[in-house]
Amino acid sequence: MNATFAIAGATFGEAVRKRVLMVILLVALLILLISPAFEPFAGGRGARTLILSFGFGVIQLAGTFIAIIMCTGMIPTEIERRTIYTILSKPVQRYQFVLGKFLGAVSTLGFMYLMMGLVFLMASRLALGEFNPEIIRGLIMFFFQSSLLAAVVLFFSTFVSPLVNYFLSGGVFLLGNLLSSFLATIQRDPEVVPITRIPVQILTIILPNFANFNVQNPIINPEQVITDPTAYMVQTLSYAVVYMALLLVASMLIFNQREM
Amino acid sequence: MNDLAIKTVNLTKRYSGLWSKQPVEAVRNLNLEVHRGEIFGFLGPNGAGKTTTIKVLLGIIYPTDGEAYVLGQPAGDPKNHYRISYLPENPYFYDYMTGREILTFYAKLFGIGEPDRSKRVSELLDRVGLSRAADQPLRTYSKGMLQRIGLAQCLINDPELLILDEPTAGLDPIAHIDIRDMILDLRNQGKTLFISSHQLSDVERVCDRVAILNKGVMVQLGRIEELLAGGHVELIADKVPDNAVEPIRQLGGKVSLHDGRLIVEQPDNGSIDRVIDIVRAAGGHIISVKPYRRSLEDLFVETIQGGKDI
Repeated sequence: MNATFAIAGATFGEAVRKRVLMVILLVALLILLISPAFEPFAGGRGARTLILSFGFGVIQLAGTFIAIIMCTGMIPTEIERRTIYTILSKPVQRYQFVLGKFLGAVSTLGFMYLMMGLVFLMASRLALGEFNPEIIRGLIMFFFQSSLLAAVVLFFSTFVSPLVNYFLSGGVFLLGNLLSSFLATIQRDPEVVPITRIPVQILTIILPNFANFNVQNPIINPEQVITDPTAYMVQTLSYAVVYMALLLVASMLIFNQREM
Repeated sequence: MNDLAIKTVNLTKRYSGLWSKQPVEAVRNLNLEVHRGEIFGFLGPNGAGKTTTIKVLLGIIYPTDGEAYVLGQPAGDPKNHYRISYLPENPYFYDYMTGREILTFYAKLFGIGEPDRSKRVSELLDRVGLSRAADQPLRTYSKGMLQRIGLAQCLINDPELLILDEPTAGLDPIAHIDIRDMILDLRNQGKTLFISSHQLSDVERVCDRVAILNKGVMVQLGRIEELLAGGHVELIADKVPDNAVEPIRQLGGKVSLHDGRLIVEQPDNGSIDRVIDIVRAAGGHIISVKPYRRSLEDLFVETIQGGKDI
C-alpha cells in the first residue's frame, strides 16, 4: 500500500497546485462568503431556504467542475509526459496506480469541500444566527456525489482522450441527475409505450444516480418528505461506495490491458 | 540464461489501430541477448522499434509474439522491478516537488522506509552532484539537472540492470560528460546498462556491444571493435616518380598520382611498410601516414542507408 499512498500523495500535491482548480475554489469561496447578501431576494421562500439552496448549489457546481477537470487528464497526462513509465517500471502494479490516482482525487475533493464547508458554515451562521447541521449532512452528500463523479471520469480516462472524457462524463452526470425523475414521470404516464420506457429503465439502472445526493431538493420543495434522513443518507452513501468500487475495478481491468 | 540480463526470442510487436486495415509492425522477430555486466548500445533511426522494445521489456506494453526475459524472469513482472530501473527519454517529473521530494517519492514506490530512505536520498543527491539544489523545486532545474535527477531515481533501488533511453540527449557538453562518466562508473560497479541513444560517439566510447535496429528488424549485432574493424591507412608522399606506382598498386590499395604527389589508401592489414619502402627506394618523400578507423557513425549510416528494403 506504500506505493498506492505515495501515488495518492503526489496526485493530491499536483492537483492542489493546479491554477484552474484553485480559481474554481476561490470563486466558490467568494460567492459562499457573500451569499448572505442575497437574502433580500428570498421573497416568499425565506432567507434560510435561499441561503442553504444557494450555498449548496455553488458547492455542487464547484465540486462537479473540480472533479471533471481534475480527473479527465489524470491518466492521459501521465502517459503523455512519460511520468507513468518511471512509475510502472518500479515495483508498482497497475491497479495500485489507478487506486492511488483515485485516492489522490478524493483527497483533493475532501480538501476542497472542507474549505467550502467551513466558509459556508461561517456565512450561514452569520446570516441565520444558528449552526445548521443540515449543512454538514449536505456537504457529506455532495462530497460523495463528486467522488462518484471522479470515479466515473477516472474510469473513462483509462481509455478515452480528455476531450471525449469531458463530454462523456458531463453527459453521464447530466443523465444521472435527470433520469430517475424522468423515469418516474413516464411511468406515471399510461400513454408511454414500453419501447420508450424500457431503455430509460435500463439507463437508470446502469448509470449512477446522482440525483439522490441533491439535498437541496427537500429544502426547496418541503413537500418532499424523507421520513428517516439518517437511513436515507446511509443508503445513498453506501450506494456511492459500491458504485465507486465497481467503477474502480472496471478501471483497473481496462488499465491492466492498456498499452501505453 | 543466468548470465543474461536481457533475452528476447522472436519478439514481435504489431500495432493495429481501430480503423487501420494494415497493422504496423514495430518490432519483428527480435532475438537479443544482453550479458550481465556489459554496456549494450541499442541503436536505430527514429521509428526503428527501440522504444517499443524497451516498453516490452518493462511490461508497459505486451508482445504480439515471441518472448522477452529480464534478469531471467518474464518481462513485465513487477516483482522483477526491484532489480531494474528505467530512465525514459526527456523524462518529466512532478515539477512542484524538490529534488529530495521526488527521490523520496520513488523510494516510497520501492517501499524503502525511514531512516534508510532519507539516507539513501541524500547519498544519491550527493552522487549526482545535486546536494546544493536538493531543496529547490524541479521546475527551477536545468535540463542537465533534470537528467541527473532522472539518473538518481534510477539508482534509488541499487538496480542490477539500468535501461536508459537517450540519457545524454540535449545536454550541454559539461553535463554530457558528467552523465557519460556516471555511466562508466556504473559499469565499474558491475551494473548492466542497456542504452538506447542517437549519440553515436558516446555509444562508441562507452558500450561493449551494440545492436542496430532498422524498421523493427535487427540488422547489426556485435562487439564494437569487431563491427568497426576494416579501417584503412592513408599515406601521402611527394616527388614520387611514375614508375613507382605499379608495384604499389599491386599491393592492393587505392593509388593516385598527380604531379609527383602520391596518395595511397591501404587496408588495415595491408602492407603499408612495403609501400613506404617502395616510395623511399624511388626517391620519394613521405609527408604523412595516417590510420583511419571506421567510426560507429560510418557503420550506422552504411547500415541504415545501404540496407535493403526490409
